[in-house]
Amino acid sequence: MRTSAFRFGARFDLGLLGELTIVAGTLLVLFLLVYPTAWVIVASFRTPETMFVAGRWEFTLDNYVALLNSGFWRNIVNSLGLCLVSVAISTVIAVNAAYAFSRLRFPAKRSLFASVLFGQTFPWIVLVTPLFILCARLGLLNNWLSMIFVYVAVTLPFSIYLLVGYLRAVPRSLDEAAIIDGATQLQIVWKIVLPIMLPGIVATATYAFLLCWSEYLFALALLTQDEMKTMPLALYAYFGENVTEWGSVMAASALTTLPTLLLFLPLQARMTSGLAAGSVKQ
Amino acid sequence: MTTVASGRSIWTDQRRFLLVALVPTFFFLACFYIYPTVFNLETSFTDLSLFGLRKGGEWVGIDNYVEILASGDFRRVVWNTVIWLTVVGVSVRIALGLALAFLLNSPVLKRWRLQTLARILLIVPWATPPVVAIVVWRWLLDPRVGAINATLMSLGIVDQPVAFLAERLWVWPALITIITWNTLPLVTLTFMASLQSLPEELLEAARIDGASRWQQIRYVYLPHLKPAIIVMVLMSTFWTFNNFVYVWLVTGAGPGLYTNVMATEVYIQAFINGRFGFSAATGIIMATIMTIFGLIYLRVVAERELSEEQT
Repeated sequence: MRTSAFRFGARFDLGLLGELTIVAGTLLVLFLLVYPTAWVIVASFRTPETMFVAGRWEFTLDNYVALLNSGFWRNIVNSLGLCLVSVAISTVIAVNAAYAFSRLRFPAKRSLFASVLFGQTFPWIVLVTPLFILCARLGLLNNWLSMIFVYVAVTLPFSIYLLVGYLRAVPRSLDEAAIIDGATQLQIVWKIVLPIMLPGIVATATYAFLLCWSEYLFALALLTQDEMKTMPLALYAYFGENVTEWGSVMAASALTTLPTLLLFLPLQARMTSGLAAGSVKQ
Repeated sequence: MTTVASGRSIWTDQRRFLLVALVPTFFFLACFYIYPTVFNLETSFTDLSLFGLRKGGEWVGIDNYVEILASGDFRRVVWNTVIWLTVVGVSVRIALGLALAFLLNSPVLKRWRLQTLARILLIVPWATPPVVAIVVWRWLLDPRVGAINATLMSLGIVDQPVAFLAERLWVWPALITIITWNTLPLVTLTFMASLQSLPEELLEAARIDGASRWQQIRYVYLPHLKPAIIVMVLMSTFWTFNNFVYVWLVTGAGPGLYTNVMATEVYIQAFINGRFGFSAATGIIMATIMTIFGLIYLRVVAERELSEEQT
């Protein structure tokens, strides 16, 4: 018996034809899944004239040059700065909160944790109008502080939820030993638990970053000045009603996708290797 | 601080830590979720408009709610949100996610050394930001320059290009295709992780008992996958029901208002029609529906998370 006979389908001897069908089917599905994104990246290096012509191919960097000259670098800086600052604040708050929910006993813990999770299920669109009105009245439209505030609040529930999950894999004996050694709670979290759950924190921060990076709705409502817009807003602006500047659209799309692709690939290895493995390694 | 004398100081230290840990979290959550919701509730009983933003609206009681519930347009919006976007959208995603998870977990792929490649490529649609996904699919579906129409015409399946996003027959299937493409990897990866934690003995036992392939799926795989399926159905329901960006940027709720959903209705009433009071009332109805779903979700997820912590 082959070792692989344990998995699904192996007992039913598929034969070479069956195997080829599965392989071909998988490749077809993968092609369909990858094609749209791959096309964006390829098209961003083609001249707008040859972009939609099969078989004709002219390599160019003009799309990127034109895009950056039109001020898109400003949107890149906006997106990067806003997302990095928001994620840093949100992750620090979430690490403390997740530790409290995971390890400490306090009154109303269940209801408080439930209310954090509830944030994940709440429709953002319902918050947009009141936030817009409030910001408009307080003169906080087109203001980085209000955007950072929104992105921290948006990422907190999910970050806390994920970190509570990661903390479960961290042995409690470590914290207990540290308490006996006289460490304070803050020291335990940031000096003893942090190094162990660093992979989990990195994964959580990555998710939070991606959430901010592709966020469109709050940015649409709260950022109205062109020079303050984030990448998704600016990208869609090139996608005009009548004349679409395909060269700029494709280059902007590729630049918006690149960081998320680069961040996701290492993340997937962690997801499949499992949370337990990450903490056992220490 | 020594261990002998620290009985009290550990306790005060813990309390100080709880303040540091929980006050910022609930400050953000209260300012972001609770205050605007209360404000929204108040606004929903007024006729606040874009032009009267500074001086505030007049109190109109439940007029906004009466108007919404009596309107045929709103029934259309609810139907679109619940049936098309959520029921059809989530079912398609879960079904395809399951099928794909089974396919990618197949031992055949391992033997052909395709498993790692498949996993990496599977991430790509998920790593594509929704706005980029929308842009590229709007191009793919475009009647003039799009690849899908070009392929269909060259294969002789259609004579005329199909305006997928402008024809009522095609607009919902097209929207659901886009959303499914973008969100399928997460669902598939979750199911794959669950499949890999299936104990071999269970499968062995089923095979020894002579279970057919379908019996194995029905009695071994699906019961094992059930918790993952439940969580994914609930999570997908929130993400789709609440989602604004796909419908708004793909069709703009059109053709006409044919694909208008609750999220776009809230936006259109506020920012296009300038009727903040009416929009707030629509939002309150939407939030109420999601609160009911949220309570179900909390029963399933929060109970499990916290009950494991208590032991």
